[in-house]
Amino acid sequence: MKTFKGGIHPPEEKDLVKNNPIVDLPLSSVFYVLVQQHLGAPAKPIVKPGDEVKKGQPLSEPLGFVSAPVHAPTSGKVTAIAKRVHPVTGLLAPCIVIEADGKDEWVEGLPLNRDPFTMKKEELMGAIQSAGIVGMGGATFPTHVKLSPPKEKTIDTFIVNGAECEPYLSSDHRLMLEQPERVLNGMRIAMGILGLNKGILAIEANKPDVIKIMEEKAPPEIMVEPLKVKYPQGAEKQLINAITGREVPSGGLPMDVGAVVQNAGTCAAIWDACAHGIPLIERITSVTGRGIKHPKNIRVRVGTPIQEVIDFCGGLTEAAKIIYGGPMMGIAQFSDQISIMKGTSGVLVLTEKDTNISWYSGCISCGRCVEACPMCLIPSTLSKLGEKSMWEMALGNDLLDCVECGSCTYVCPANRPIVHFVKHLKALQRAANAKKKGA
Amino acid sequence: MKDLFVSSSPHIHSPEDTPWIMRQVIYALIPGALIGVYFFGIPAVTVIAVAVVSCVVVEALWQKLTGKDITIADGSAVLTGLLLAMNLPSGSPWWLVCLGSLIAIIVGKQVYGGLGNNPFNPALVARVFLLISFPVQMTTWPQPRSFFSQAADTVTGATPLGALKTAIFEHGTVTAAPHLNLMDPFLGNIGGSLGEISALALILGGIYLIVRKVISWHIPVCYIGSVAVMTGIFWFINPNMYADPAFHLISGGLMLGAFFMATDMVTTPITNKGKIVFAIGCGVITVIIRLWGGYPEGVSFAILIMNALVPLINKATKPGKFGAV
Amino acid sequence: MAALILGISAVTFAVEMDPREKAVLDQLPGANCGACGFAGCAAFAHEITENPEAEMACPAVNEAALNAMSEILGRDLGGGAAFVAFIRCKGTPDQTETRYNYVGPKDCRAAQLVAGGSKACQFGCLGLGTCVDVCPFGAMYMGEDSLPHVIESKCTGCGKCIQACPRGIVQLIPSSGNFCVGCISSDISKDMKQLCKVGCIKCGICADVCPFDAISVAKDKAAQIDQAKCQTCGLCVSVCPTSVIGFVHTPVKVHVIDEKCKGCGICASVCPVDAISGIIKQPYTVNQSRCIGCGMCIDMCPADAIERNIS
Repeated sequence: MKTFKGGIHPPEEKDLVKNNPIVDLPLSSVFYVLVQQHLGAPAKPIVKPGDEVKKGQPLSEPLGFVSAPVHAPTSGKVTAIAKRVHPVTGLLAPCIVIEADGKDEWVEGLPLNRDPFTMKKEELMGAIQSAGIVGMGGATFPTHVKLSPPKEKTIDTFIVNGAECEPYLSSDHRLMLEQPERVLNGMRIAMGILGLNKGILAIEANKPDVIKIMEEKAPPEIMVEPLKVKYPQGAEKQLINAITGREVPSGGLPMDVGAVVQNAGTCAAIWDACAHGIPLIERITSVTGRGIKHPKNIRVRVGTPIQEVIDFCGGLTEAAKIIYGGPMMGIAQFSDQISIMKGTSGVLVLTEKDTNISWYSGCISCGRCVEACPMCLIPSTLSKLGEKSMWEMALGNDLLDCVECGSCTYVCPANRPIVHFVKHLKALQRAANAKKKGA
Repeated sequence: MKDLFVSSSPHIHSPEDTPWIMRQVIYALIPGALIGVYFFGIPAVTVIAVAVVSCVVVEALWQKLTGKDITIADGSAVLTGLLLAMNLPSGSPWWLVCLGSLIAIIVGKQVYGGLGNNPFNPALVARVFLLISFPVQMTTWPQPRSFFSQAADTVTGATPLGALKTAIFEHGTVTAAPHLNLMDPFLGNIGGSLGEISALALILGGIYLIVRKVISWHIPVCYIGSVAVMTGIFWFINPNMYADPAFHLISGGLMLGAFFMATDMVTTPITNKGKIVFAIGCGVITVIIRLWGGYPEGVSFAILIMNALVPLINKATKPGKFGAV
Repeated sequence: MAALILGISAVTFAVEMDPREKAVLDQLPGANCGACGFAGCAAFAHEITENPEAEMACPAVNEAALNAMSEILGRDLGGGAAFVAFIRCKGTPDQTETRYNYVGPKDCRAAQLVAGGSKACQFGCLGLGTCVDVCPFGAMYMGEDSLPHVIESKCTGCGKCIQACPRGIVQLIPSSGNFCVGCISSDISKDMKQLCKVGCIKCGICADVCPFDAISVAKDKAAQIDQAKCQTCGLCVSVCPTSVIGFVHTPVKVHVIDEKCKGCGICASVCPVDAISGIIKQPYTVNQSRCIGCGMCIDMCPADAIERNIS
């Protein structure tokens, strides 16, 4: 079975939630839609307090190509454009507050019913762009940008990432199992846009039910590729390496080796946007971990307050950490002001026993991080440099090649926060660069 | 929600932390230590106890005096003490053991900044220091006897490697050395340091460590392999001058060194490639000292010399990063 | 033999060095902190010796060293006014709310990266001591109150701590004894009060009483003292309801020299805190408990009859 070099085997913990069918979260009475839910240029709100909005109506307009709009998750009234805690940065960010009217009415003309396979490439791209689709695995990079590689790059491989290598999470698993057509049809649309007549659906071997159903349903041009269960199998560069044997060059992008990777959830959103004109206003999220009473896979509107989600799943028990995303790369939360975002693949609630809050000690040079690093770096050196804030020297030790997957930190016997040190060094480097540019 | 913990990703951690690793190595050393106790009796128990306790006390005192956090709970001082004890003759007086602990912990480890920063294996630093400073005490080898034997006097004698060296010096040939049944060193029925006498017990411990993935196979296999190959070549050339490889493998401190001393994580290379280079270097130097050096045994010196080269080996064996162009 | 080779090579390969450069280097602090913009003290000594245009860029030299260097090089090196670092946050953990338990490296810059720092006030000191760690002169320490403190006698004003602080709460102020507001919060008073008990509440009383118009304050900006205008009278300190204004040196109070005083009463009229009283044509007296050591009376006295209480 195909895989990559390095990596780790953390306990999967998917049994908590993987057998729970997707359920709809009851409509919240108020929604907090953050304006910035993507990587890239900012977007500008185009509604003001007092405006009536309908479900699916755009609330912001992107400023630039690498950007994405957000849409009203339901019908109701904009009550404020307030500053609320952004789950990614932890800082206050503009947020559109919508009070639901309970009617949940679509904006006029939606949903459409059209055949996307007869549409032109430009129409499809337009539909994806205006639907505000971003990478739903958590990175939230605007999808239309990924689907429009520059002309000089030849793309010959399209991979859909259904690996879901993060422990605990099962949202992609349930999506692919319950709605395989959405994923496969979305894939075919993306393949059409890229001008390819084949695509690969990569699934980790710990989901035999999905592999089976996908092999039955997949059209001949889509190949289902089971992958070895190993973290970070779903990391873009590792996934391409496992499937094609190609290595994305240092500092390069997947398209440099002719590959485009999309998440399975993103493909489903592409289908919705192209076939029905439905923007990205809801997603499937795993609410799991031992700190939540009844783990569930939920279909939830973007902007739903976290408290509603927690209450729906029975509330917290001994919660020590609340994480947006998986335990390896997710972001720890502290506020009850946050809401579900486009990239929230999971709401993970860990108890003190399951998480890691102990103090770290000196590096004992055991080399476990070197074995685990999928990028073949020497994380121990980076961590020592990080401790001393020596970013210039870290650049010479391939600082910028680190993908922050967390494998090194997981295995470190001295419990050193290596990823945190790497983030620290990268931040220092960015600050120094900004200063140099300013001077 | 104010009591939540917030940290950078990842949020989960492998249960195999530093104290866990230290515990595994200590478990793996127990068979070797028990064999030592069986053949050398109460004095061996005393040496082990004094070494472990004094190492822990010295570490705690030093950290207290220098105002650092006291880290004796990580188990590394216990392990250093145990390794030191296993590298000493079982008849070592208590002051010698305490001096060894002092050197191991302070000169070998703490002056460099504590666990993780020491370039040399602390137990070996202490052993070599004692060997050079107190050659008589450090080469007075009580001969093994059963734990249950009632004989009052301890008989001392040479180690097999020592006897070999004497034979070459006095008679010019290894065949003059007293004949050794290889089963004796395999089980531990020979003179030598407290913990090095039984190859079997040490190999069992080593295999445990490899199976638990505490150490990788690279260092023990390459170290022992290179010693076997090199001594084999010379034995093949002139069996009168050079002892056979089997003898070299299971006598002396090779097994203890290869499985427990040369695999100390702090003082060995971090990549597998580097570990292989390191281990072969250890093997070659060991054989050179054993065959032509002044000392009968070369494991300690070989490992210390290779420890010094670790930064260079690390630099030379840096892995090629993913996507390097 | 080896010594001979070494000796010969030392002479042969010796680098010619301007003796003045060496003398200048001896006067520099030698901390190689880089605040001058050069790669260490030696590089700066070379620059200032070789380049007749170069000015004193080292913030850490004292006056004696500056004079000595001017003499060595035979020209005025500029530079001058000495500065010290001032920590503009008084939010100890029991005064300021905490948002969560931070787990990670003990470095404020790293802590700021996860969820924006654990202190509820986004302008407050994170208290992990990065400024203390980077100080090349050992002039800072972390207090029991989890806030950094500056040892003014050791601080050279090199500014390393300013670069290191992710929240920009360190400011350089003249070491001659100026005052500075210990808060930079831009939150409006109502929001700030929910997070912190000791921050600037933007009441503006300090700005109103300042006799030199040196203080500016706005609804969304903590009071700011213009160091060029501040005459160190200390009136603002005495009126601040949250005691958030601090100073570098404790002001030295004044007394009247009875023999010299002509009893004109000018001092009493300029005193901003009404600490001086007396009867015309008789020696005036200073109420020591009220005096804030601003020295305005000293400047105004026509008979030079007022001096500071220096033992």
